[in-house]
Amino acid sequence: MNHPFLKNKGIIFYTAVWLFVAILFGLSLGYFYDFSTKEANIDSFIFNGTFYGLGLAFWFVVRYNSFDSSQILNLIVSHLAAAALSVAAGVFITVTILKNVLPQTEESLIYLNNSIVWRAGLGLLYYAVLILVYHLIKYYDDLRDRGQQQAQLETMLKESELEMLKSQINPHFIFNSLNSVASLTITAPNQAREMVVKLSDFLRYSLGKENHLLNTLEEEMANLMLYLEIEKVRFGDRLKVETQIDIEALSFTLPNLILQPLIENAVKHGIYESLEDVTIRVKAKAENDILRLSMTNEFDPKAVSKKGKGIGLKNVRERLRVIYGVPKLVFTETNENLFTVRLDIPQPSEK
Amino acid sequence: MIKAIIVDDEKLARDIIKAYLQNFAQVELIAECGDGFQGLKAIQEHQPDLLFLDIQMPKITGFEMLELIEHPPVVIFSTAFDQYAIKAFELNATDYLLKPYAEERFKGAVQKAIDKIQTKTSAQKEIETLTEKREELSEGIDRLVVKTGNKIHILGLDQIAHFEAQDDYVAIHSDQGKFLKLMRMKHLEDNLPSGDFIRVHRSHIVSIKHIEKLELYEKDSYLLSLKTGAQLPVSRSGHTKLKEVLKY
Repeated sequence: MNHPFLKNKGIIFYTAVWLFVAILFGLSLGYFYDFSTKEANIDSFIFNGTFYGLGLAFWFVVRYNSFDSSQILNLIVSHLAAAALSVAAGVFITVTILKNVLPQTEESLIYLNNSIVWRAGLGLLYYAVLILVYHLIKYYDDLRDRGQQQAQLETMLKESELEMLKSQINPHFIFNSLNSVASLTITAPNQAREMVVKLSDFLRYSLGKENHLLNTLEEEMANLMLYLEIEKVRFGDRLKVETQIDIEALSFTLPNLILQPLIENAVKHGIYESLEDVTIRVKAKAENDILRLSMTNEFDPKAVSKKGKGIGLKNVRERLRVIYGVPKLVFTETNENLFTVRLDIPQPSEK
Repeated sequence: MIKAIIVDDEKLARDIIKAYLQNFAQVELIAECGDGFQGLKAIQEHQPDLLFLDIQMPKITGFEMLELIEHPPVVIFSTAFDQYAIKAFELNATDYLLKPYAEERFKGAVQKAIDKIQTKTSAQKEIETLTEKREELSEGIDRLVVKTGNKIHILGLDQIAHFEAQDDYVAIHSDQGKFLKLMRMKHLEDNLPSGDFIRVHRSHIVSIKHIEKLELYEKDSYLLSLKTGAQLPVSRSGHTKLKEVLKY
């Protein structure tokens, strides 16, 4: 930590305060001792000038002594020593100089000798006030540092949390898709080629490092449709997809891959757990500053499904909460054999 | 001729098995099934020697399907990704194929199966070990699949009031009726969610939700009444466990 008065404009402020003190001191001398303005000014500037210099050095007493209870004795001793030394030095220097500068009269000699006591007292007061100010500055700086560290830590935490909550590509999906490709190479090589390209595009987007935190709905929907097309190859006619997307909504943004766990859930509860055909409906509407998304899938209400559900949804909820700082952006609704999940994605206000 | 059946919910996954099987003149594919129910029906109808079985399927899994077959054929599992299953297989002679698999790997698995069928090794024992291994590795029970006649029931745990030991079987008393399943009480006790079920007696495990009241029957002997009207004896250790869970 640098000297607070030697950086930026600190020295101007410090000097201004001392100038004010010196003027006050000079005026008092004129008042109490009936000094001429010139003599009062000389005395004031020499005395206060000395302490002006010493005062800058006091910082190091504060800087190198921690204010911690285990070292309280240390602190007191070093302050007492510093105070005694600096006040003695300050007073000695002032009086010595003044003896040479002021008119060499009996009167002024007596005055100077008598002044040693109050000069020492005043020096102690200067010391005490400066130390107090330095302590306050140091305390404030520490507090700000800690605040910054805390904020930094929180940002890091948030980032790692987001990383974790980001949808992880389901390995079942990948390996089963690859198995489909293997199968297609025998029966329909052209389709196999198409499937490989789709799978690659999907993986490139989903694993992409250059992914921004927020993508447009257009980009996200393109990826979602890729995923559904791949699943369609696997499950054939059983999977039907209907989309209803407002044109204006396409340029709205949403966190990357936020829809992936939801569509996987829809496919899982629709296709993986059911023997019937399943329709998945995706809707998006632009409404003022909110992107309203909904995804509906049919499911078998009587199915006794295996556990493991709810994690995808929970992650989506948590990610949105961390990103937007708003607690409730995800809504779910079950209506007979239809499950709907709705997301309200706030749009960042225009730059 | 060796009769084979494929059970897999993805047509393309069935196609590749079918294509690879054409190199085996001695294996005849007699049925292709898209889910476990169809699979059970086909097995009952055709009594195959060899079964290609997927694990992750709608309604009932390959494992659950296998539990319902009395005399299971030799099984070659195929799965995309299931570390528990892989572990189970590694401890067992039954072969498995990890999707996607090489044709050579497939040939090896089928050859092994053919040898087994021709030497008439009973598959029964293997399935039993497999089931046991799976029990050891299982992450807990969350539903039970049972069969009465030709009807298959999938029981959610909340539908089950209590389990009762009956020799090698366990009688499951549920909303849908009483079912017998070949399994051990110990397995149930270890794998049912402990907050929902308690073993109150050597022969009884009850669902806590279904408990109506507990009465002193004789000195040191308690009787537990369920909401279904059933009354069950409670052993001393069962009583201690009940006291803990019911906090009285």
